Amino acid sequence: MVENSSEKNDERMAHAIETTDLRKEFDGLVAVNDLSLTIGRGVLYGLIGPNGSGKTTVIRMLVGILNQTSGSATVLGERIPISENKPRIGYMPQEMGIYTDLTVHDNLELFSDLYSIGREKFRSRQQALLKMIDLEGRKDSLVSQLSGGMKHRVSLACALVHDPELIFLDEPTVGVDPELRTGFWEYFEELKRQGKTIVMTTHYMDEAQRCDIVGMMRNGRLIGEGSPSELMRRADADSLESAFLAYSREGGA
Amino acid sequence: MNIGRMLSIAKKNLRSLKHDRRTVAFIIIVPLLIMTIFGYTFGGEIENVSVNIVNLDQGINGTYLSEQIVEEMSKRNTLSIRETQDGADDRAVEESTHLVEKGEIWAVIVFDENFSRDLQLGLTADQTGVGGSQGRIYLYLDRSNPNIGAAVLTEAQRALQTVFLIDFGIEQPVVIAQSAIYGENAEFIDFFAPGVMGLAAMMVTFMLSIISFVQERRNATLDRLVSSPATEGEIVGGYALAFGIVGLLQSCVILVTAVLLFQIQIVGNPLLVLLIIFLLGIGTQGLGFMLSSVAKTEFQAIQFMPLILFPSILLAGVFWPIEAIPEVLRGVSYFIPLTYAVEGCRSVMIRGWEAGDVMPEILILIAFAAAMLMLSTMALKRRG
Repeated sequence: MVENSSEKNDERMAHAIETTDLRKEFDGLVAVNDLSLTIGRGVLYGLIGPNGSGKTTVIRMLVGILNQTSGSATVLGERIPISENKPRIGYMPQEMGIYTDLTVHDNLELFSDLYSIGREKFRSRQQALLKMIDLEGRKDSLVSQLSGGMKHRVSLACALVHDPELIFLDEPTVGVDPELRTGFWEYFEELKRQGKTIVMTTHYMDEAQRCDIVGMMRNGRLIGEGSPSELMRRADADSLESAFLAYSREGGA
Repeated sequence: MNIGRMLSIAKKNLRSLKHDRRTVAFIIIVPLLIMTIFGYTFGGEIENVSVNIVNLDQGINGTYLSEQIVEEMSKRNTLSIRETQDGADDRAVEESTHLVEKGEIWAVIVFDENFSRDLQLGLTADQTGVGGSQGRIYLYLDRSNPNIGAAVLTEAQRALQTVFLIDFGIEQPVVIAQSAIYGENAEFIDFFAPGVMGLAAMMVTFMLSIISFVQERRNATLDRLVSSPATEGEIVGGYALAFGIVGLLQSCVILVTAVLLFQIQIVGNPLLVLLIIFLLGIGTQGLGFMLSSVAKTEFQAIQFMPLILFPSILLAGVFWPIEAIPEVLRGVSYFIPLTYAVEGCRSVMIRGWEAGDVMPEILILIAFAAAMLMLSTMALKRRG
């Protein structure tokens, strides 16, 4: 498939993610409503919207935790549910998803083992990541003994241990103090410079402002998409927040 | 199937336990405690049953056969004779029976006033063929505990027989000669030790599994595992391996305790016993996984424990033989995996059976483990 040279596939390969009429219902309740979007490679894409707008469900379908009800999507060229491309993606769930009864090192080692990255590479990755999240001295601490912010950092490191090219971050900065948030953003930008694609959900508008492209979601639909400045200009708004409200009115009509 | 990934998930589970010293203590101490308590409670014989003896016997020619029997009874410690009233009257019987009614003693053993005379006449009659009579011993029993009642009766008969044999050289006309094909010198503890082992292994693997998976779901670590290249089979396999090992370690603790404290018999190969327990552990952890998807919290998970445990304790032949279970319920017994684990372990430990002999049990447990692993994998594959 990768070698396929048809025009459509070339285009698909150029995108990190492409969804077509992606739909998810839970017991008849529509969580994601025929969503079609494309996310280019190397882009920092922010999905914003209120709680229950379907952001997390979209990500959970893309990383292979949930099956869609209908529609389709490709992730790095592979149709969901993905299997082959799993080693190429990283995922940080909203609930952090780390083992609190293990040490920081044990968590990192477990995920590096699951991605079969090898001893040598793990050692260098661990060192680099611990330095990045500023927890070099806490390698052997149990995660349960760390502060909330530290746990967040460990969770992020676990998503990055295998050096993925596409990274899904579900509300990575919820409950994180402002100082740490700044640190996180510096790192996201560093990842982007390395050519990684990042898809994150957030409901902080100031964070959305820093994304390359923002997708605004409401009731499972994409109500607006574009760069923050474009979105504001089109809605004739002075902030993303008021732009979001404008699109909501439009989309709800 | 990537064995490396499966092993790393198993390693993770064992590592979690390493940091959780309290759980490790529970895993070791609880079965040790269960085995010790069960062993001392059920393993010993009934002793020191308090009784009163009222001897109304008038004797014959100055000989009191009753006294010899009482003396024989006091040689053993089954009965604790609180009071012996020699040459008493009917009022003494009444007073002592009253003590049974009040629950102060378990039984009154009364020798009839013509005991020695009737016995002597009876024996002479046997020799001469001229009609005689029987000596009588009356037992007034509190049978609210049937086991104790039976123990008093058995002891009275034993003392009687011993005296007859020694004093008169009389043996019972019919003797049932028994020769144990299996279980020579086996005591009750030998019977239930394999049961307790299976039960404890089942309890711990089920509990660890259901609680771990509730936590995996709630903390979204399961999401992370699922989004990684690890397949469902590898995740389930890793768990099964880890908790199977825990069940195994636990069985070793029980086995050692039972051997050291209670000198239980292990006639067959202990490794075969451990294999049976390992299979049971793997199956039970699968069951725990499946039920974990129904439980939202650890609190709810714990409530599955009695549901799984009680039928197993009562119907799997741990303490009562399956033959003693009413037919309607016996059908249920055959659907409880523990039944086969207990039967298999028992056959190996007491009968000394080899792998070929317990193959039916092993195959059923393999089928149980395989089915549970498969169902767990399928359940994990179902993505909302």
